[in-house]
Amino acid sequence: MACFARFVRLVLGVAGLLLLVSAASPSVAQQVNPTASAVKEQQLLQELNRVQGRVSIPDQRSGVLEQPAGREWREFRNVTLRWIGGIAILGMLAALVIFYLSRGMVRLQSGRSGRTIVRFSAFERFVHWMTATCFIILAISGLNVTFGRPLLLPLIGHEAFSEWSQWAKYVHNYLSFPFTIGVVLIFLMWIAGNIPNKVDVDWIKRGGGIVGHDHPPAYRFNAGQKAIYWIVVIGGGLVAATGYALMFPFYLSGIEGMQLAQIVHSIVAMLFTAVMLAHIYIGTIGMEGAFEAMGSGTVDVNWAREHHNLWLEEENARDARPQPSVTAAE
Amino acid sequence: MLIKRTNQRSPRQGSAASSPADQAGGLDRRSFLRKSGLAGGALAAFGTLPLGSVRKAEAAAAGPLTAGATVRKSICTHCSVGCTVTAEVLNEVWIGQEPSWDSPINRGSHCAKGASVRELVHSERRLRYPMKLVGGQWTRVSWDTAINEIGDRIQAVREKSGPDSVYWLGSAKMTNEGAYLFRKLGAFWGTNNTDHQARICHSTTVTGVANTWGYGAMTNSYNDIRNAKTQVILGGNPAEAHPVSLQHLLEGKELQKANFIVIDPRLTRTAAHATEYVRMRPGTDIPVLYGMMWHILQNGWEDKEFIRQRVYGFDDLKKEVEKWPPEEVERVTGIPGEQLKRVAKMFATEKPATLIWAMGQTQKTVGTANVRASCIALLMTGNVGKAGAGANIFRGHDNVQGATDVGLDIVTLPFYYGLAEGAWKHWSRVWEVDYDFLKSRFDSKQIMETPGIPLTRWFEAVTLPKEQVAQKDNVKAVFVQGHASNSITRIPESLNGLKALELLVIADPHPTTWASLAVEAGRTEGVYILPVATQFECKGSRVASNRSLQWGEQIVKPIFESKDDLEIIYLMAKKLGFADQMFKKIKVENNLPEAEDVLREMNRGSWSTGYCGQSPERLKAHMKNQAKFDMLTMRAPKDDPEVGGDYYGLPWPCWGSPEVKHPGTPLLYNTNLHVMDGGGTFRPRFGVEREEKLPDGTTRKVSLLADGSYSLGSGIQDGYPEFTLASLKKLGWDSELTEAEMAVINKINPANPDTVSWSLDLSGGIQRVALAHGCVPYGNGKARMNAFGLPDPIPVHREPIYTPRVDLVAKYPTLPDAKQFRMPNIGFSVQKAAVEKGIAKQFPLILSSGRLVEYEGGGEETRTNPWLAELQQDMFIEINPADAADRGVKDGGWVWVTGAENNSRARMKALVTERVGKGVAWMPFHFGGWLAGKDLRGNYPKGTDPIVLGESANTITTYGYDPATGMQEPKVTLCQIAAA
Amino acid sequence: MARMKFLCDADRCIECNACVTACKNEHEVPWGINRRRVVTIADGKPGERSVSMACMHCTDAPCAAVCPVNCFYTTADGVVLHSKDLCIGCGYCFYACPFGAPQYPKVGNFGSRGKMDKCTYCAGGPEADGSKEEYEKYGANRLAEGKLPLCAEMCSTKSLLAGDGEIIAQIYKERVLKRGYGSGAWGWKTAYRETIES
Repeated sequence: MACFARFVRLVLGVAGLLLLVSAASPSVAQQVNPTASAVKEQQLLQELNRVQGRVSIPDQRSGVLEQPAGREWREFRNVTLRWIGGIAILGMLAALVIFYLSRGMVRLQSGRSGRTIVRFSAFERFVHWMTATCFIILAISGLNVTFGRPLLLPLIGHEAFSEWSQWAKYVHNYLSFPFTIGVVLIFLMWIAGNIPNKVDVDWIKRGGGIVGHDHPPAYRFNAGQKAIYWIVVIGGGLVAATGYALMFPFYLSGIEGMQLAQIVHSIVAMLFTAVMLAHIYIGTIGMEGAFEAMGSGTVDVNWAREHHNLWLEEENARDARPQPSVTAAE
Repeated sequence: MLIKRTNQRSPRQGSAASSPADQAGGLDRRSFLRKSGLAGGALAAFGTLPLGSVRKAEAAAAGPLTAGATVRKSICTHCSVGCTVTAEVLNEVWIGQEPSWDSPINRGSHCAKGASVRELVHSERRLRYPMKLVGGQWTRVSWDTAINEIGDRIQAVREKSGPDSVYWLGSAKMTNEGAYLFRKLGAFWGTNNTDHQARICHSTTVTGVANTWGYGAMTNSYNDIRNAKTQVILGGNPAEAHPVSLQHLLEGKELQKANFIVIDPRLTRTAAHATEYVRMRPGTDIPVLYGMMWHILQNGWEDKEFIRQRVYGFDDLKKEVEKWPPEEVERVTGIPGEQLKRVAKMFATEKPATLIWAMGQTQKTVGTANVRASCIALLMTGNVGKAGAGANIFRGHDNVQGATDVGLDIVTLPFYYGLAEGAWKHWSRVWEVDYDFLKSRFDSKQIMETPGIPLTRWFEAVTLPKEQVAQKDNVKAVFVQGHASNSITRIPESLNGLKALELLVIADPHPTTWASLAVEAGRTEGVYILPVATQFECKGSRVASNRSLQWGEQIVKPIFESKDDLEIIYLMAKKLGFADQMFKKIKVENNLPEAEDVLREMNRGSWSTGYCGQSPERLKAHMKNQAKFDMLTMRAPKDDPEVGGDYYGLPWPCWGSPEVKHPGTPLLYNTNLHVMDGGGTFRPRFGVEREEKLPDGTTRKVSLLADGSYSLGSGIQDGYPEFTLASLKKLGWDSELTEAEMAVINKINPANPDTVSWSLDLSGGIQRVALAHGCVPYGNGKARMNAFGLPDPIPVHREPIYTPRVDLVAKYPTLPDAKQFRMPNIGFSVQKAAVEKGIAKQFPLILSSGRLVEYEGGGEETRTNPWLAELQQDMFIEINPADAADRGVKDGGWVWVTGAENNSRARMKALVTERVGKGVAWMPFHFGGWLAGKDLRGNYPKGTDPIVLGESANTITTYGYDPATGMQEPKVTLCQIAAA
Repeated sequence: MARMKFLCDADRCIECNACVTACKNEHEVPWGINRRRVVTIADGKPGERSVSMACMHCTDAPCAAVCPVNCFYTTADGVVLHSKDLCIGCGYCFYACPFGAPQYPKVGNFGSRGKMDKCTYCAGGPEADGSKEEYEKYGANRLAEGKLPLCAEMCSTKSLLAGDGEIIAQIYKERVLKRGYGSGAWGWKTAYRETIES
């Protein structure tokens, strides 16, 4: 990636300059013509891709006189990112629409049993929805930063758009905290069920049963859900970390680091959003009986049997001895 | 009270944004600068034209914010360049600064300080009302109470200890009028203990240079440096201390493709632009100069004809130069012989060459000898009295030249008349007071004619045993008006003085470190603070380093309860009971003496220095017609009705009465011009001949008058002594004196009018007649390489009191202990003890000090200005990376700096940099308000503490005083640095 | 039509900071906001040079390109200005700016960068020329009065030049010719995609 190449150049450049300086310094007493040996801008830019010096004000970042690297970042932000985001999100939407049209909602093959089983506790659901709500708002307010100017601004005008964007920025900043907490809780809460195992291999081989009416075996979380889990944990962690780096400028890094953070943040967020679209699809109109898991927290036993047979067996086995967790549907 | 531009506007609520158009260049609401395209042919001149020419715009109607504003001009108060400040004033509020395009000196430019002076006036941290220390608390008092109590206490000191026990410390910040009245106040009070910043700035220059060729001032001007083919800066960093001067230096460097040589222990911001940078060991200026002269003599590069005609003592000098072959110079200074040879060659052969210096040469125990050696180098190469040549001595404060000229000094009455009876009688005639009245004010006639105590020694004058201070009693009261205490070395010892004083009066726009250190010294009473107006709230004349006088208008009236310097002086004189005598010939209104009238009185008495022609009317005409003066020659076209033929600011000497219309003297001692065009000769100030002892025991008389050299159009085509009535008679020119003039001359010395000279003749007749014959009133003499009468008539290298080169002390010791200026100077004993105790091992780093561009002097007012304070927020010490690595010191990290005396220590940040060489450390001297790691912010009266405080460099500086002037030695001492 | 540019002649700049305080003075810029600054490169070493830097008012300004709310505009004179009413303080212009020009007041709580502030080339903002509103948000509007930016007008050594790009380039070329060497028009290649040949 361009940024990485830039860092390599930076490191090489610093080393080069050090060599230059150390080579120049020993001959102290010799003729010194400061005017003739004046530093040259283009030479410094070639060596380091930036010009840096000393300033007397405490704001040391202002010691960077010039860094044309912003141009590459600008290219990324205005062109590359829009392509990535556009393709990922629109592509995902298109895929889902095509899938829905061709496949329709995945129905319960055996119909509803009338009996339900608890899939997610109230706490789990609270965490999920808190994170999900934050995510949706963060995604919309975030997408606004990338796509608002070409898409929304011409529709609603400068003042309204700035007003909205200002609020969106505040909301984006503040909701990052509950979102981050949510990601951490999700990580801790569901880590046990999300360690990949050999069942997942089979599940993946059979494409999750998405084509046809196959139902590969799965524990509480199938490989697809595990993938979502890890995307949430890793992707969420990345956007959170890079987001905070941007929110608290210069605490962690200089401008180059922040440019890099913004690149990571926005790419991950775009892909994240695309994946979440799929997640939302499958949890709602994509599959009969799936929403209930996060809705009421209980799922139909038949649904559990079809999609998470191993989990159901586990639950039943555990259930045989203690009090019933399976209740008749009202 | 309305003091700020922002105060007069109501804060605006809500927003009514206009939506900018999306496409670039779409917002075309401005109609300006369309005609900025100038003919290409005119561009060649642009490098030297004010930038303002670039904007040949049709000036649109001024925006509503500045509409109706009055424009007033004054002079920047921060250095000696003399930049004009153009102020926009609306409803008596200073709302903005504009570039002063018309000034031939700054041509629109400013430095950080000049561009921010507006804030000084409306600073919210300024003193607002008089205060006194009551039980350790600063308490508000009225002006009446303050003046009455101060007056009573001062009077009590006088009755008990005599007038010399009150020390009057004035300021280079005052106008000429203020400084002159302050000196006059001292005279009427009955003491010569009246001093100001020149003591610690260029006293050695004044003494050394005047002793060489007549007047102790910059010979040429900032502008004239444009003519130089070689510029040597030895002991100065004008890029930071005199930034606007660099406009002339750097343009000169470009225009002349000039050699720009910087010899300095630090690679300064000035050195960064040098064509040759020479790093030297601090305190070795004389060996550097002798090293250059050695090469000059060796190669016959000296100007033999110039020396023959205009120089005395060349043979004596050669003997001293012979002691400095390249090996010895390198051993002492660290400069390789080849490099110095190259510099010497450029200096001597690529002429005109100028030598520029500031406090790097002067602030040493050998300061006087340093500047003497510099003058000698110029004389040897014939680089004096010509355009592009000369001793371009950059002075420090905006009016330090003026305050020196008007005699705010311990060794002289105004205008260098000295302290002898004749001088007192001259001034009693000017002041129209009885000489006996003045005499009666002093303890004795003898003390009346004895130089006072230098300000560098004020605290010792308080604390030393009475018998060691050669006056009736110790100093008991200090009245300081506009001088920082942290600019004076040995701060830890000054605390004893602060504690022992009976009375301390601080008159200043800011409380200064006098206040914070007085509290720190344990004082709980006997301290008064009087709020003084800044110079922008006063009118009057100021003298730039180039001797030009500039009249500053009052920009706004004094803010809060602050008062003009002149008014405070008047109130003190009134309280002390001699205002009627002192202001006999000066108009006073509402206790405020009229500045114009004070200048007129100076004009009437200042014949010796040629301040006689600069009437307030002429000076005001110059300010009004600034644009008419040529930037290079500084002269106005001859046909101008108001300022025709004048040089800008009538640089002194401006001979004769204003009616003579002398144009001023832009270059001193320039024989290529007629004296009425500013020409001149060296001043024979030290007799007309001298008896020299020859090796065989016999003596011979040698003339001190010029030999075959004279100024253009001179009526006497050879050397001649100063003009007196007798000499006019001898020449047969006395008949040209008018009857009225003769009447005045006869009245001056009825017994023997023949002795009345050009400098005592209040009629100006003798000067007028001399000028009419193309003669310089003071005569035509030789400059002295041998300045007999000084401690070292030929400059001699002497190691600093605290030197790391103890091996050189035996060969180059400082002068023996002696009594000077009423005080003992035990430098020799201190140096000897330091060597014996091995101080240099304990404190191996040389410590030097200097200026930052953002701050000035003690720095309290500039550190109070947020626009400046933001740029330098921490006191620091520069240390070489090698020394830093040895000590584990990191760039930006805290360090303790310890000094060689008083167990002194100071906490500050380290600036690890190659600006300083190995073994050298450097500190800025503007900080104050910390002491030995302790923050003294609480010691300031509430709300008046400067924004930035820090350790003072002078906490660490040490003993050392120039025997000829009492100059301190803050430029070279020893220290140790450790990570904190 | 003039195309306003800045040019800092590094052979003349002595880091006197007049440009910095002139800016503070003219616009009463608060503590901590540095619309202009002077950077010294190779400090203390032979070859040291100082350069005064502020917004260069770039051609095809990156700040304007990346601004999510499009609050920037370029005047007919090529001056890049922005509307503080529209700015949301996101910081993107700072990431894109090659010269570190955008400044953000810290407005109390975390994450809230205030409205961006930067050099206006002494040309105010979208409000009416010379109005109080304009002064309070952006500072003085000297261009409307037929004056150039005060930083350049007050530069101690005439190092910092402001004015029509062609004219200041011409002045610089004359200097280079006189000196016999150039000091590089610092930032020009990055800001204007051109260099001054001489």
